[in-house]
Amino acid sequence: MLARATALSYSQAINQGLVQAMEMDASVLLMGQLVDYKPGVFNTTSGLVEKFGRNRVLDFPVAEGAMTSAAIGAAITGMRPVLVHHRLDFMLYSLDAITNWLSLWRFKSDNKSNLPVVIRAIVGKGWGQGPQHSKSLHAWFSHLPGVKVAIPATAFDAKGLLLESIFGEDPVIIIEHRSLFDFTNPVPEIPYRVRFGSACVRKNGSDVTLVAMGYMVPIALRAAAKLKREGIDVEVVDPRTLAPLDRDTICTSVLKTGRLVVADPGWRSFGAAAEIITSVVEVVGNKLHSAPVRITLPDSHTPMSMALEDHYYPSEADFCDAVAKAFYSK
Amino acid sequence: METINHNSVLASGRYKDLSLDNTNSDLALQLYSFMVRLRRCEEALAAEYHPADEMRCPVHFCIGQEAAPAALSALLHHDDYLFSHHRSHGYYLAKSAPMAEMFAEIYGKNTGANGGKAGSQDISYPSEQFYSGAILAGAVAIAVGAGLGLQLRQLPHVAVAGFGESATDEGIFWESVNYAGLRKLPVVFVCENNKYSVFSPQSKRQAGDSLCQRVATFGVKSNTIFGNDVQKVHQSLSTAIADARNGDGPSFIELVTYRWSAHYGPDSDDSVGYRPAEEIANWKSNCPILLLESALLNTGTLTARLKLDIEARADREIASAFQFAKTSKPPDLSSWYAMNFSEHSPMADKFLVDVDWGEFDANQDSILQKGY
Repeated sequence: MLARATALSYSQAINQGLVQAMEMDASVLLMGQLVDYKPGVFNTTSGLVEKFGRNRVLDFPVAEGAMTSAAIGAAITGMRPVLVHHRLDFMLYSLDAITNWLSLWRFKSDNKSNLPVVIRAIVGKGWGQGPQHSKSLHAWFSHLPGVKVAIPATAFDAKGLLLESIFGEDPVIIIEHRSLFDFTNPVPEIPYRVRFGSACVRKNGSDVTLVAMGYMVPIALRAAAKLKREGIDVEVVDPRTLAPLDRDTICTSVLKTGRLVVADPGWRSFGAAAEIITSVVEVVGNKLHSAPVRITLPDSHTPMSMALEDHYYPSEADFCDAVAKAFYSK
Repeated sequence: METINHNSVLASGRYKDLSLDNTNSDLALQLYSFMVRLRRCEEALAAEYHPADEMRCPVHFCIGQEAAPAALSALLHHDDYLFSHHRSHGYYLAKSAPMAEMFAEIYGKNTGANGGKAGSQDISYPSEQFYSGAILAGAVAIAVGAGLGLQLRQLPHVAVAGFGESATDEGIFWESVNYAGLRKLPVVFVCENNKYSVFSPQSKRQAGDSLCQRVATFGVKSNTIFGNDVQKVHQSLSTAIADARNGDGPSFIELVTYRWSAHYGPDSDDSVGYRPAEEIANWKSNCPILLLESALLNTGTLTARLKLDIEARADREIASAFQFAKTSKPPDLSSWYAMNFSEHSPMADKFLVDVDWGEFDANQDSILQKGY
């Protein structure tokens, strides 16, 4: 379907998605600390309180557990709440609400009650965010049954996945990488959906499959462009959602290339990269030409100092090295 | 006003203040019948628990704590929400959910209220707006959220949270009271203070002994009453629920009561030695059913014949619930995915179109955000 599009930044696309959802359905509710102030959570909620008023745009006490529970209760009465956390790290106060209530509500009611609650979790990176402002816990939440997890890399996906989540019937956690908020992208003006469990092949290639998520997608694409000039043709796959995960698209790509590299903006051990590699090995492991390689953060908390940050976050050169390792080894 | 707490109840011995002067006899009989039905239901489940060994889930019996559910059963409407702790059977029945489906749920059958996925401590009956859970302070916060939803939708219903005093050990309880007070939400907090968190008494867990005073500092109306006087419990909850319905904000009602049974299961846990025998004896002499029954017999509202009728009616319902549970089939395994996620999204289908563009210009300068 053709649609008129304008260039929007990632944060503008989220804002547009929220405005459209709230215009379309009166049950959509926005909750979060400071959502009704001018800066609007990095501009993603700016202008909403003027449009929809304080009964639909709710600043909340500094009580994330109660906020998530309030969203659950409101959803039981028919609302569709969207929560936002300036940093995912604060959201951890609500782990009981998410784990013991939100994720298993449908299950334990025997499908008689469901909770369309959307949680936007923003993850910081760079400028000394340090260990309490930078954790991207997409793997933790994807481990939990009953919750969908999205990790949009582009403005287009940020809006489409947000709308799909708000008007879906299940709880969703959307991991938003702050470092992507100023990236622009053509975004259709109409309200559209991006489906869960549908990966996007960002660049076709024949030599190595590079699966990348979140802020690692643009790095992967830049590395792929560079490697192309060096004679390695990389296929870049962005899963877009981790729960559910589109294993078919990834396996199809690996069947073509025979080589796999996974770029995961999480810690190395027990992470999303491990899950993706295992999923591929289980299905097409005997077709691999070389051992899979993962690009991750080290098993360490995030340092503040820029000198250490430079080592902590994988660079474009690290991506090139990892792909070369998969490409040249037998 | 004299302070009521566990010490004062123990010091007072047999309670003598239950009065039916301002209660019509139909209501009094309704409360009595509900409590008899609930007591006999719990006793029957407890008696059957071990011999048949077919109830394979933790069951927390509420024998001795019948008054709160009885009062709520007479006060709540279909559209009101009730969130219960794990000692859930009374609250479940208070929302008019069917006893047979509760028994089938405890038996893990496909006809159970939740198809055998929840059991006794997590049972719900969404079509009657009844929910429960074992991690109970969380349910108090969810009730506050339901109150928020009702307020935002301008609906004249209330959300009631039933919990034990142990839930007030948790931080989220106070976050919830704060938010309910802040927004004047239509919420009623019903705290059944039965003194113990499993074995551990409130005095060992909490600094200060007046929950009521603490809650009041949040601007939430609060009251402590003797929780086995069902007439007083009804009167107090009636005011609180009416206030919530009329936009007069939340209330906190602390009911000083006592669990006769063990923390869980049909067997006594008194060999642990956590509560004195005289305390148990005093509370048994203050049985909520007996207190009402003697008042009803005194006024002539209840006769020996009517008492037998009420008991027989309850026993017939219980026998039929056992029959239903035992003869129902166990659940079939369908799909794990379908148990946890929806297979359809009608709202998304209605509002959204499929567009899929993969292109993305990665050669943009990544702007390093300075500061926050």
